[in-house]
Amino acid sequence: MTDMPAPDAAPDASSGDTSIWAPELAELRRRQALAEQMGGPDKVARQHAGGRMTVRERIDALIDPGSFHEIGATAGRAEYDDAGNLVTLTPSNCVMGRARIDGRPVVVVGDDFTVRGGSADATIFQKPLMAERMAGEWRLPIIRVIEGSGGGGSVKTIETTGRANLPGGVPSGIAFHHVTHTLGLVPVVALGLGSVAGLGAARLASSHYSVMTKSSAMFVAGPPVVARMNPQRNAVEMDKQTLGGWEVQTRAGAVDHAAEDEADAFACARRFLSYLPPSVFDLPPRGARDDDPARADDALRNAIPRDVRKVYRMRPIIDSVVDRGSFFEMGRNFGRSVITGLARLDGWPVALMAGDPYHYGGAWTAEAAQKVVRFVDLAETFHLPVVYLVDCPGFLIGAEAERSALIRHGVRALAAVNQCTQPWCTVIVRNCFGVAGAVHQPASRLSLRYGWVSARWGSLPLEGGIEAAYRADLDAAPDPAAKLREIEERLTKLRSPFRTAETFWIEEIIDPAATRGLLCEFANLAAPLRTPGAPRFAPRP
Amino acid sequence: MTQTRVLADVSGSVWKIEAAPGDQVAEGDTILLLESMKMEIPVPAPHAGRIAAILVEPEQAVTEGDAVALIER
Repeated sequence: MTDMPAPDAAPDASSGDTSIWAPELAELRRRQALAEQMGGPDKVARQHAGGRMTVRERIDALIDPGSFHEIGATAGRAEYDDAGNLVTLTPSNCVMGRARIDGRPVVVVGDDFTVRGGSADATIFQKPLMAERMAGEWRLPIIRVIEGSGGGGSVKTIETTGRANLPGGVPSGIAFHHVTHTLGLVPVVALGLGSVAGLGAARLASSHYSVMTKSSAMFVAGPPVVARMNPQRNAVEMDKQTLGGWEVQTRAGAVDHAAEDEADAFACARRFLSYLPPSVFDLPPRGARDDDPARADDALRNAIPRDVRKVYRMRPIIDSVVDRGSFFEMGRNFGRSVITGLARLDGWPVALMAGDPYHYGGAWTAEAAQKVVRFVDLAETFHLPVVYLVDCPGFLIGAEAERSALIRHGVRALAAVNQCTQPWCTVIVRNCFGVAGAVHQPASRLSLRYGWVSARWGSLPLEGGIEAAYRADLDAAPDPAAKLREIEERLTKLRSPFRTAETFWIEEIIDPAATRGLLCEFANLAAPLRTPGAPRFAPRP
Repeated sequence: MTQTRVLADVSGSVWKIEAAPGDQVAEGDTILLLESMKMEIPVPAPHAGRIAAILVEPEQAVTEGDAVALIER
């Protein structure tokens, strides 16, 4: 070790620092302290009065304590006196950097609403851009904490810039590349906290998993703008919640989940990431193995009513077959005939889909098909084996269904499943009918498949078609009702899944109680088949 | 006292009405059953309370999102 040279600048007496660069260190600390103040005490108080945390409080609540390494904290707008000395510094309204969640490195990028409402007027757009690039190139999951217009412009922006912005023009257009490109590389979580509009809404929706709090609202444009654009229809300005509250957005499928409050939103983000690899170049990490893989649940033998008109609850079945407490549902309010979520089997993360008979008997709607596409793409991107508990009587039928282009969305779901290369296991618990029923596994690859003793299938449900198909016989019968019963009984006997198994059109009919054991075996067989790497095409949000 | 509109989750027709105005119900109790896709789909009480009104009749067609009952607490 060599002796340090003598200081050539006056030591900073106030801090007691006698090092060579004491004045610069003091200025650095001063600038950092100014940045910590965000938009100032008044704006911070207003944020708190609205029941919302500041962006720095949010980041602290989201990540492992003390793990934030901020980048570009002191970027912002400075004011100097005539002598060129710093008077004050208003930071940019984007706070970003690296942090850890459950010990794993991530990128966090957040909007500071206390500085110009998070709008572009106070943005240094290279900051959020770098956050996206860092996530993609350094293979780190990214969490976007969004409030306001997410760095997008306001009408006033034209006065600060002196010219009109071409959306996607030079040089800011690249941001739109990264916001979507990242989806094919790393997990992207987006949290909408407060009012989220315009570019902020786009950054929220363009994610693998989006959460808004129940007091937040999200829209392309807020109530005042909407009212002015539609003076006749919206003479009375609707409130934010009516326009884009959680009930609207989670039912529409623009946002995946509504959290009770901000702390709940952060817990959701952390939990979602716990099932996923840091990037497509890695594999989903095995969790705790704290539930017996051979655990057999006899209650499943009573889960499905014999009366085919009666519905039952699918979620308790899911909870019974996966590792205890491991099911993490996503998109519960959208496309509700299909339940989707992440779960663990003997510790291995899997993507789980299941029919929900409470919603149209489990029949697929256009929304359900869209949900399947996005979910299967998520599984494909992050190497999650897929488990599908099937109860699908087919596509929803009727005029509403036709007007929703259901068959277009349905064949897109068929394509997504067929393009999926992840190991796949199907358990048909009850209905499996029609083209929607055919989408129960990738058609070209060998998957594992089981049918419960309660399973029933066919090209179309008998209930819908007997009268039409046997019209001539029924018309000719002296007692049409008796004839119908006779035909129904005859066909019902033929429908037994055991007859299908005789011809090996289904591989195995199983005791429902055995399901968990078989699914855990599947997850263990699937684990070494998972292959890290970039997907053939990036998922679309 | 606040009234909640109980909404049909699915389009279909009213199959069976199980609760009457004045009835006390617990959260999750079936108020009525809709028939949709040849299945009986319960419409549960969103919270505990007293049934203020049943807004539909048996066999009436309903559309997803229609109010089928009022419940107050």
